[in-house]
Amino acid sequence: MHKNIFLHFSRDLVNKPIISTLIRKYEVEVNILQATITPNEEGTMFVQLRGEEEKLQNALGYLVSSGVDVMVKPRRIKYHENICVSCGACVAHCLPKALFVDEDTGEVKYDEELCIACELCIPACPYHAVEMAVTTMGGSNNG
Amino acid sequence: MAKTFEEINEKIKSRKAVVVTAEEMIGIVKERGAKKASEDVDVVTTGTFAPMCSSGAILNTGHSVPRMKMTHAWFNNVFAYGGIAAVDFYLGATECTKDDPLNKAFPGKFKYGGGHVIEDLVSGKDVIMEAAAYGTDCYPRKELRTLINIKDLNTAQLLNPRNCYQNYNVSVNKHTNKTIYTYMGILRPNMANAGYCSAGQLSPLLNDPHYRTIGIGTRIFLGGGTGYVYMHGTQHSPNTTRGANGVPRGGAGTIAVTGDMKGMSPEFVRGVSMTGYGVSLALGIGIPIPILDEDMARFTGVSDEEIFAPVVDYSHDYPNFEGSPLGWVSYKELRSGSINLNGKKIETFSLSSYPKARKIAEILKKRIDEGSFLLGKPVELLPGEEAGLTFNRLKLRPV
Repeated sequence: MHKNIFLHFSRDLVNKPIISTLIRKYEVEVNILQATITPNEEGTMFVQLRGEEEKLQNALGYLVSSGVDVMVKPRRIKYHENICVSCGACVAHCLPKALFVDEDTGEVKYDEELCIACELCIPACPYHAVEMAVTTMGGSNNG
Repeated sequence: MAKTFEEINEKIKSRKAVVVTAEEMIGIVKERGAKKASEDVDVVTTGTFAPMCSSGAILNTGHSVPRMKMTHAWFNNVFAYGGIAAVDFYLGATECTKDDPLNKAFPGKFKYGGGHVIEDLVSGKDVIMEAAAYGTDCYPRKELRTLINIKDLNTAQLLNPRNCYQNYNVSVNKHTNKTIYTYMGILRPNMANAGYCSAGQLSPLLNDPHYRTIGIGTRIFLGGGTGYVYMHGTQHSPNTTRGANGVPRGGAGTIAVTGDMKGMSPEFVRGVSMTGYGVSLALGIGIPIPILDEDMARFTGVSDEEIFAPVVDYSHDYPNFEGSPLGWVSYKELRSGSINLNGKKIETFSLSSYPKARKIAEILKKRIDEGSFLLGKPVELLPGEEAGLTFNRLKLRPV
């Protein structure tokens, strides 16, 4: 199984090898989808963790105990079904196939769980039917 | 036995006409054969929904007090052409707002433009109108700014010189190592994806490939309301290569259409933003095709696997008028999500909405079934292959 999570590292955590520990000690696969360090030396990271359920839970526990803010319902695209015309202009740009064409109806569908928030669909949609969902970091573990 | 427009219209009026969609007709022709299908079916309905850039609206706003010969006007900041009689305007679908940064910060977003104003008007939203004039004795006023609604307009006519392309290119980016932004979508380098834009087997002109039933006066579904074909469209080019089934293997025929915007619905009239390219209008069009004879049954029985589109490079070949198509692929393959081009698998995406095309064909079928939509018999058919029309390039001559 996998979990997409959004992490926030305060300034004092930036120099700690947290992701490396996750991989080596907690034996989860980490796919870093986005990572930034702000001018204030705070870090944000959008990652996909893969592994067995128990190992994922342990890994999440480690992150929280290390003082990392973990958001388990992280950045995702907001898809507006009522605006979408189901042309399909987005689908070839969506690498994880979160946006896809339903084979039976030909309609565009969105599987939120698969979205990695790469945002490539946003400029591809001629109708503004997808946008970045607003997320707030305030407080830890607010998912 | 051949049928006439008049006979079919009589059947529609007495609600005895047999109407099917172009999708349903495929199976009927396959099962019963074209001859039997032509006896059993009277009308086949088609549909398409896609960006159609050569669209616009003729708006008559009525006269202000005092009168004003408005030479320039803007609707929600989008310029409308006023170089015709006072208070008549042409608002083009691809006109950008006057302060749009365009492609200065590349790729431009083109969030709002003429197509969006047309959608807003059709939706019944108030639109800000500004106008300027130089002032005359009979038209003294020189400026105004007001809210305006489609209800306030004396007339609002959609007037589209080129719509409903009969087949079109499939776009790829072969010759650059960067993403390109085209009217045929965002194309990633090394032919990582391919865009197409046709309803294929549901598309109006692909179901009447030789224009045997469509022409000036054909009554159509236009943007949710009723419209008419007023002429062959600009760039109408019937003399392209055709398959054995008569279907063009690339862009060919087009139609010029008009209709009353007051009867239209925003579900089928939508503003379009093409990143890095510009604004446009997506429009729903459906054309009923009378099954006059066995040939028309066979033509309307065409399916996606029998319709082929050329794959064209938009990074170099298309802009420079060079090269030739990289290959041809069927709409069945395009719709499967990927195509195989000389051994390379390329992911596809569509700019044309097949579900909406299907819905349009269904609505049109219902309107005809109910006897509320009669066929318009063309006073002239669209020019066919025999007309000798060609699509010429602009020859530049020294001034």
